[in-house]
Amino acid sequence: MKRKMEPVDVVIVGLGAGGGPAAMVLSQAGYKVVGFDKGPWLRPAEHYSGDELKYQNRSYLWPDVDLMPRTVRSDDQSVAEIFNFSPVPSNVGGGTSHMAGWTPRPRESDFIFHSLHGDLAGANLADWPIRYEHLEPYLTKVEWTYGISGLAGADKGAAFRSKDYPSEPLPPTRFGKKFYEGASALGINAFPLPMSHLTEGNALGRPAVNRSSFWNQYGDPTETRSSVTTTFIPLALATGNFEVRADSFVRHVKVDRQGRATGVVYVDNDGVEIEQDARVVILALGAIESARLMLLSKSARFPDGLANDSGVVGKNATFHEYLFAVGLFDNERDEPLNGWTGNYQSGGSMHFYETDESRGHIGGGIIATTQTGQPINMILPGRPTWGQAMKDADRSYFSHAMKIGFILQDMPQETNRVDLDPTVKDAWGLPVARITNRPHANDLAMSRWQIDKNMEILQAAGATRTIPVYLERFTGNACHQQGTVRMGIDPEKSVLNEWGQAHGVDNLFVLDGAGFPTALGVNPTLTIMANSWRCSDYIAQTHLRGRADRLELPNTGEVRRQEPK
Amino acid sequence: MISKADWEEVPGTIDSDSDEKLFFSVHEWDTIDAAASRIIPTDADPGAHEAGVIVFIDRYLSGIEFNFATAAGGGFLQMAGKDAVAARARNANMQRLYRGGVKELDRIAGELGQQSFKSASADVQDQVLEQLSGSPKPAPISLDSREVFHSRLQGNTDDGMPFFPTLCLHVRQGFYADPVYGGNKGQVGWRVIGFPGPKCLRDTMDGTYSTAEYFVQEYDWSELIPGFKASGG
Ligand SMILES: Cc1cc2nc3c(=O)[nH]c(=O)nc-3n(C[C@H](O)[C@H](O)[C@H](O)COP(=O)(O)OP(=O)(O)OC[C@H]3O[C@@H](n4cnc5c(N)ncnc54)[C@H](O)[C@@H]3O)c2cc1C
Repeated sequence: MKRKMEPVDVVIVGLGAGGGPAAMVLSQAGYKVVGFDKGPWLRPAEHYSGDELKYQNRSYLWPDVDLMPRTVRSDDQSVAEIFNFSPVPSNVGGGTSHMAGWTPRPRESDFIFHSLHGDLAGANLADWPIRYEHLEPYLTKVEWTYGISGLAGADKGAAFRSKDYPSEPLPPTRFGKKFYEGASALGINAFPLPMSHLTEGNALGRPAVNRSSFWNQYGDPTETRSSVTTTFIPLALATGNFEVRADSFVRHVKVDRQGRATGVVYVDNDGVEIEQDARVVILALGAIESARLMLLSKSARFPDGLANDSGVVGKNATFHEYLFAVGLFDNERDEPLNGWTGNYQSGGSMHFYETDESRGHIGGGIIATTQTGQPINMILPGRPTWGQAMKDADRSYFSHAMKIGFILQDMPQETNRVDLDPTVKDAWGLPVARITNRPHANDLAMSRWQIDKNMEILQAAGATRTIPVYLERFTGNACHQQGTVRMGIDPEKSVLNEWGQAHGVDNLFVLDGAGFPTALGVNPTLTIMANSWRCSDYIAQTHLRGRADRLELPNTGEVRRQEPK
Repeated sequence: MISKADWEEVPGTIDSDSDEKLFFSVHEWDTIDAAASRIIPTDADPGAHEAGVIVFIDRYLSGIEFNFATAAGGGFLQMAGKDAVAARARNANMQRLYRGGVKELDRIAGELGQQSFKSASADVQDQVLEQLSGSPKPAPISLDSREVFHSRLQGNTDDGMPFFPTLCLHVRQGFYADPVYGGNKGQVGWRVIGFPGPKCLRDTMDGTYSTAEYFVQEYDWSELIPGFKASGG
């Protein structure tokens, strides 16, 4: 017989960017909350340090591909192969424990992609069931609770904000300064991108002592980085209403005969299967795993997976491939750029964010100059692989290269999806997520145009050679996951409503990036946290009090297109 | 089962000068040391041999005891649970890959009329590596090249690669990883390329190690961002 735990008000599956704010909001509202994570609860001050081999090569935080494999194929005719697609750490804190931390706000246009562009052939564009103005107060709350550094007013096309940032940006790195020079020469509006770390003298009073430059892919042993484990989770625990159950793999969401969620079944670290009942079930496993758990949770009422009457669960997945251009500088003539310094990015731009059809594509993404990295893994595409040439390349370019990255805003397609692999199983014996993905023509065009533009900026900054890294196929290397459990107004075309609440299963919510109907042009995590907070307010103030409410949408035609001035 | 959060810390460090062999035979040790010396050769600056790369690789192959240093660097984490099971299986594959790789190096050297790989001249060793890799010895980076590349994952694991690229990756790791793992002796690798890394891992945990001096010290946002006016104070 299965063990059963005392029922609680709310169960949260996944304690990353989506789960963290939900835990805080609901426990602060007085509800009993249990949060599950399949990974361990690492303690930053004890477990993290600047060990390149451990973090970048030996996967101390990256998911183990043999325990948690995924499979990938480009179309329905191919057999999917095992590949660590869009890996995000499995531990309390999820991706926030080692992410680079670009946390820019989205813009108005992100929410009305279909109104702006209509039907794009081969894609499945949609408007969001919310607008920027619904999210704005929550973006501010996250910036001030989680802790974001930024410079208000520096992005000339930014949408309205109700409050300044709690912390100033870091000084630019030397490669950051070069980026500003290249951008100004071309009339491009560059600015210090908002980052999820704090600097000295921040309004939150948190320490900001980490300038080790071991940042993207590393855990931070200090509180300089903003992560779920050093912000939302301690705040939730302080209420006395929240319990973390780490090393607990949730394998199934239970429903009753009417199809309401009754709780979850999980496997603890000793392999014991346990049931946890709750009044509300929140999924925040990351968009790939949230879709997978729904597809795994079949029942008489939902034979095709939980809340999947529409058949949309898993579809329209978007992944934001990370592309870039590298510039090589002359190590005799030019000052060192020290591409290994800084907290990953050091200046970016949203100048090319809004659609300009003369470029040959719609949409646009964010760019930023980013570290080329530490010695073992320094990014230098085409580096000689051995011999004198390799040693010379390392000596010449370790401190004389820079790169400008780009987050590709990929178009949602129904055929780009997550489903269950028919043969491959994970270490818990369950079918793994299979990703079917092929770039849309717009994705290929957008990425080529932008990477060529990034090379122009590098040339304007004085690079002697520029090296493009274009899109060929998606690898999930940005570790951004969106769209698999769409929000929308129409229950036949979407899975969730505007509160992240499943159509037809009123006590099931999905609060990670899975709900995003279209990929943002910016990195998603700030928006994931703000949206989770917004929906959790609804759960606490309306749903759990036995009420329901619908959100009114403003007239979509009125939204102004933002252009940098 | 012990959670990853509670893996035991086993104190002790690896001596880069040691010639004690935990995995390799004497012949395998000498062969891989010779190959590593062609991958990062010694010139006016030290190379793989001086950095103790062979000790680094031997310890890594010997089991899973040296996979992860403790955060502060005074010892190693004893892996447990599912992670340990997966790591052990990979380690067994890696051992087979190296055992086979050494035989392959000697076989190709034999075809070129040599007694063994390790006894061949540097030039002949390079020829063996060319044959093994299936391509000519890499040429210096060209500033005129128009080559294009495609995106790949962040993080560089050694999963599922053939022997030669695996060896090249491990040699880089042994040359540049924190010295706690047995290579990069006295931080020589870092000195060769001018990386002022931390004295020890502990220094990266509390702000003792800082790269603040490499950030731009004097700057003004309104100069870097034309048209931007700082608001207020
Ligand atoms: C190296 C790196 C750099 C990044 N940089 C940025 C950046 O600069 N800006 C940005 O916006 N984003 C960045 N990201 C992406 C960011 O990490 C994600 O967008 C974010 O973490 C997603 O939040 P989430 O809540 O959806 O999922 P996650 O943060 O992944 O959290 C999901 C949690 O659910 C747990 N889980 C999964 N399945 C189960 C199960 N069955 N049972 C129990 N628990 C489960 C996982 O262990 C995990 O902890 C980066 C990611 C990586 C890996």
